Amino acid sequence: MKADRQVWHWLGPALAALVWWGLFGFLAKLGTADVNAYDMQILFTIGAVPIAAYIILRRLRMKADRQGRIIGTVIGILAGAGGIAYFAAMARGKASIVGPITALFPMVTVLLATTILKERLNKAQIAGIVLALISAALLAT
Amino acid sequence: MPWLWPSLITILMWGVVGLFQKIGSNHSTSNSLFLWTTAGYIVILPFLFFDSHLLSLPTRSIGIGVVCGFTNCLGAWSLYTALERGARASVAVPLTALNPLVTLVLALIILGERLSAMQSAGVVLAIVAGVLLSYETDQPKHDEH
Repeated sequence: MKADRQVWHWLGPALAALVWWGLFGFLAKLGTADVNAYDMQILFTIGAVPIAAYIILRRLRMKADRQGRIIGTVIGILAGAGGIAYFAAMARGKASIVGPITALFPMVTVLLATTILKERLNKAQIAGIVLALISAALLAT
Repeated sequence: MPWLWPSLITILMWGVVGLFQKIGSNHSTSNSLFLWTTAGYIVILPFLFFDSHLLSLPTRSIGIGVVCGFTNCLGAWSLYTALERGARASVAVPLTALNPLVTLVLALIILGERLSAMQSAGVVLAIVAGVLLSYETDQPKHDEH
């Protein structure tokens, strides 16, 4: 497949995403040592601005219909609310536990996608749900 | 375990976000979705200032908070870039789902956090589960609803 031959083309940015998000969790723990969850979310938003500005200034493939604009805004509101809860969790718990456990959020996405979008669960996702539940049981006891 | 409830709320909120991202990708380019997401972040800002102590914070803490937001958005941006450059979502997305491993290692090494045997098992399982859950068989996008 073409995609396989291009592996070196996309592997860099994919690994970068992995590292940036991992660093995000670490910085969330570091920051919440003396910044409350609300202020962290305010600062987080300020940190998002340079990237938004870059997209606007470079006029990078921006296209959304009305529904897309509404959905995007709703995503920001929900992600922001989730972010506040995330910072609160980080402030109260160990990053080594809160980081991995909050990363289980795709479980909710997968379950919603099966009920609302009528997507089918694949075997990996079913295994993932089972492991997620075992993991939650281990961490919550 | 005071961290449990906020963690569950995060899982719920971000899980719903994932669903909206699936739907939104049919109505928007990833760049545009990112911009409108940022607009959503800005919408809730006024509510956050009620309990704000920003002005009394040391510069270092403010810097960490801003960089924290920057790295998160940079992560999203990097994943979009990987997908645009031909990465299959079924490979790239589970790969990036390994990110808590980076948080874990940094927390153990730099912050000196220690986990019990039970917690270690839970954390390892959570990371594996995260990778498995984000595996989606490659398929054409949903039809317009």
